[in-house]
Amino acid sequence: MPEYDINSTPIISVSHLGKWYGDFPALVDVSLDVSKGQKIVLCGPSGSGKSTLIRCIARLEDHQEGTLFVVDKERQSGKAASERLNGQVGMVFQHFNLFPHLTVLENCTLAPRLVKKLSEQDAEAIAIKHLEKVKIGEKATCYPPQLSGGQQQRAAIARALCMNPTVLLFDEPTSALDPEMVSEVLDTMVSLAEEGVTMICVTHEMGFAKRVADLVVFMADGKIVEVSKPQEFFAAPQHPRAQLFVRQISGH
Amino acid sequence: MSATFVAHPSTVPVQERRPPEAPSALSVIGTELFGSWPRIIGTAIFAVPIAYLVWWVLDWTFLESVWRADDVEQCKVAVGACWSVIAARFRIILFGLYPYDDQWRSALASLVIVVVAFLSCLPACWTARRVIVCWVAGFAAYLLLMYGGVFGLAKVTTDRWGGLSLTLFVFSAQTVIGMPLAILLMIGRRSHIFVIAKLSAGLIDLLRAIPLLAILFTAAVVAPLALPEMLQGDKLTRVVIGYALFFAAYQAEIIRGGMQGVSEGQAEAARVLGLGKWQSLFYISLPQAFHKALPATVSQFAIAFKETSIITIVGFFDILASGQAAYGAGEWYPYFKEVYIFIGMIYFITVFSLSRYGAYLERRTKNARI
Repeated sequence: MPEYDINSTPIISVSHLGKWYGDFPALVDVSLDVSKGQKIVLCGPSGSGKSTLIRCIARLEDHQEGTLFVVDKERQSGKAASERLNGQVGMVFQHFNLFPHLTVLENCTLAPRLVKKLSEQDAEAIAIKHLEKVKIGEKATCYPPQLSGGQQQRAAIARALCMNPTVLLFDEPTSALDPEMVSEVLDTMVSLAEEGVTMICVTHEMGFAKRVADLVVFMADGKIVEVSKPQEFFAAPQHPRAQLFVRQISGH
Repeated sequence: MSATFVAHPSTVPVQERRPPEAPSALSVIGTELFGSWPRIIGTAIFAVPIAYLVWWVLDWTFLESVWRADDVEQCKVAVGACWSVIAARFRIILFGLYPYDDQWRSALASLVIVVVAFLSCLPACWTARRVIVCWVAGFAAYLLLMYGGVFGLAKVTTDRWGGLSLTLFVFSAQTVIGMPLAILLMIGRRSHIFVIAKLSAGLIDLLRAIPLLAILFTAAVVAPLALPEMLQGDKLTRVVIGYALFFAAYQAEIIRGGMQGVSEGQAEAARVLGLGKWQSLFYISLPQAFHKALPATVSQFAIAFKETSIITIVGFFDILASGQAAYGAGEWYPYFKEVYIFIGMIYFITVFSLSRYGAYLERRTKNARI
């Protein structure tokens, strides 16, 4: 596994971030730096703010306090909705969010053509390369609803990769899948991690976290309460909330 | 014997099993109609009057009818339909008061509209540029042929346009102008800018609150009093714009309904990939919204086609009013039924084609299951 350089300038720098939904504090004083090549697993109980955090990084949500630096520039609070994004921050959603009226190939080529102004041939060549990498090259001409959940999520990963993102965000990518399809998506994510893609994953998949994560960031009540190496985190969590959480997901 | 529940692995290989044969459609209908005594009686009670009605219609329409164009005398003695009235007067129905010798222009202009409408229904034509080129060229050809005044064509003012030719124009012009307006109003109503959202919503609600009749009166009669001369334009133009506004208000709400069915995640995914607001709207949200709104949209088109007949109250002779003129002249007066049936068939063919086209569009995208 390629090592990341902790001393390099972080490509994502979250500092003292605060966000409220009405009076409800969703994020409280959250600070997190991510270096190039680093893999972060974000976990925590439901409502802990982990999805809100990566949605803020993706600029799908506004933060109200603190500073947010993503890839190349400082992102202003209160401006998320009007900011034009460029695909540098790729995102994979829990419910895939593939475009159902376009084929898998068109899903992958649309943004490169419209945003990067690639020719149809170039965009298709890149798309097919990534579709084959996630092992659904033969499904290129299908429409998303004709695919299984696992295939759809892999197509969504390929779609994000087609924009050649600097960082890839995963928002519970396996939570909406049938159990027998979880591993095919995780395998894809592991091989991306091994290629050195910078990733922030919101997931509860312990096996994945142990295998690829450089750091596990545990959140509760909108705060980061524990940051540690995955082995340490799952074997001996420090914070009581983390201890409870690890007990619960380790299950029966 | 006490009930025992048994679960065991299946032993028969899958290949050896076949699904039970489904009954044929004919045998299903047979069972439905004659499957039991009550059904047989029910079938008989309904079948006899229906058969009588069908026979009576066939007899009147074909067996006892008169078809020769010049023979009103024969119609007087015949008990069946007098189709002669159509043969003798079809030009009035199709072209209204358009000058007789120039009616080929009206026919050609109608044909242009039908061909352009057909072309723009083909998926190959669905780029903004092609649709615009098609309709701009189509309307230019229509107006040139109908209005004349150039290339040695005699000038025919809009007050003499009429019949099917006028109906087709009013229908296509109001929908072609109304659809982009509808999209604009819908976008406006969903806008985050307070003033734009409220103005669009107000305009939609206002237009929907006014009866079409009143809108047409306003366009035809009131607008010339209120507008400066240079903005008045032709009466038909004003009336078509009135129709288009009315169509747009309803269609805007239909598309908005479709937009509400498109999940938030679609726009989020588009945005994260780098698509701009307009790209996201035109490539991602609108195509799905249109698909979801298809049945309602087809209905709106059908309504728009039939409501063209209201134009008669502001003094234009659409196909329905022309039909009245066709039988109204003296000797053909008793044969109004035939005229209305003929016009009814034209309405039916148009609206039925629309609904078949809608069904085709739904079939076409069934794999996408939007």
